[in-house]
Amino acid sequence: MIEVQKLTKYYGLFCALKEVSFSIQKGERVGLLGPNGAGKSTMMRILTGFMPASYGTTKIGHYEIHEYPLEAKRLIGYLPERVPLYDEMTVKSFLKFVAQVKGVPRSELKSSVDEVVHTCGLEQVFYRIIGVLSKGYRQRLGLAQALIGSPPVVILDEPTVGLDPQQVVEIRELIKNLGGKHTVLLSTHILSEVSLLCSRALILNKGEIVAEITIDPSRPSAEIEQAFLKAISKEGLD
Amino acid sequence: MKSAWTIGKREFLSFFITPSGYVILGLIALLTGTAFVLSFLTYVQISQSPFQFGYSSVPDFEETFLSPYFVFCGIMIMFLSPIITMRLLSEEYHRGTMELLLTYPLRDRDIIFGKFGSALIILLLAIILIALNVCLLLPFSDVEWSVLLFGLCSVFLMGMAVLSVGLFISSLITYPITAGLVSFGIYLLMFIVGNVAEKLPASAPLPGTFPIILKGMIERLYILFRSLLLELPLDNHAKNMALGILEPKDIAYYLLCTAFFIFLTFRSLESRNWRK
Repeated sequence: MIEVQKLTKYYGLFCALKEVSFSIQKGERVGLLGPNGAGKSTMMRILTGFMPASYGTTKIGHYEIHEYPLEAKRLIGYLPERVPLYDEMTVKSFLKFVAQVKGVPRSELKSSVDEVVHTCGLEQVFYRIIGVLSKGYRQRLGLAQALIGSPPVVILDEPTVGLDPQQVVEIRELIKNLGGKHTVLLSTHILSEVSLLCSRALILNKGEIVAEITIDPSRPSAEIEQAFLKAISKEGLD
Repeated sequence: MKSAWTIGKREFLSFFITPSGYVILGLIALLTGTAFVLSFLTYVQISQSPFQFGYSSVPDFEETFLSPYFVFCGIMIMFLSPIITMRLLSEEYHRGTMELLLTYPLRDRDIIFGKFGSALIILLLAIILIALNVCLLLPFSDVEWSVLLFGLCSVFLMGMAVLSVGLFISSLITYPITAGLVSFGIYLLMFIVGNVAEKLPASAPLPGTFPIILKGMIERLYILFRSLLLELPLDNHAKNMALGILEPKDIAYYLLCTAFFIFLTFRSLESRNWRK
């Protein structure tokens, strides 16, 4: 569903991503792990077509994102790291706006909005202005806008960052429930999150994929932690 | 174009969810209304005793009152338009919502035409307010319809060109206030340049002892420079049209100016995809 080949991104002279290649199958939930500044957000932004890569190709479904941006973007739901929302709008009008922009047919508009409102637990704040929502509800709304129109690929950039423990549990539960219906790529630097939510983890450090771990739910998360630290330190020694 | 309509509708409604729509329309109503009353009272005074004001007879209503009023309205819109344009694209960048828009299945034209369309609707509302002022006179005087129509058209065309400049500036700057100030600065500079150019002598003021070979060259350069300064400012082309004189070059100027800055906005938005 997602195929990345030799993806490279330069910011001026600084190389943020160095020939990164990986692929994600349909229905998989993959975590992109890495310390701060590893290039996770850059990767997410390239995958969603927000910015171009310097070199390399990114295929979403059958479409290369740079060559067929509209077709590829139709397949993606994206939650950016710092959830940007229109604070002056109500939750209802915002979700309706997103559904229209994503091309949801008029006849399915209401059911589509109702579905994500139910999935993300936004019923209580449906008529509220976005500007007055708590961080947790803003995050849920961010997730709802990503899920509207039921895109096959969902890309989530650090979806639990800055939330309190209760909100983290709620958002994780939401993401867990996405499995099967959507292909999920999730970026985070919290190891336990990956072990809870994903079936595979790609470890990104200094712009390179340094390890790939298949997650076995029966294995303790300490093993993933060890594998992560080993990959990072090995990279550091190199 | 369905997506452009959706973007435009959201933008237009957000003008009126926040105070900015009311502020700009309120300011336009206040300033153009005050100017209308004051200039009308002055015209009444002039027409009662024209000799006192240096006129040999009662001056022409359209020439003395109506067309300068339309030009004033155009200038007013020019200076107030940064309140509209500063938020169009800059605000999307500033609060990060551009990241959402650019990852939705939208074309650049949907975003640009949607945003520009919403600004044009605000402009049309402002023109309706101006037209309401003028319509108060209709029962009492024989206003020439051509002057009225072309006057309003000149305000619209000038406003459209001004909005396109503002939209382009807004696509370059990520802080709405800075984008607004830069647009305002550009309009002010053009306005001053236009006024200064009108006061420049028709030929270069060179001393008689100047070498003849150089004189001809400098004279040509001076004329070119002066006509550029006269033709470039946005408000200068509205003057003829507001008098009811329809010149293709004035209409072409506004249409080309709008098209040029919309084109630049496209390039500016597209520049994110230029691979580095």
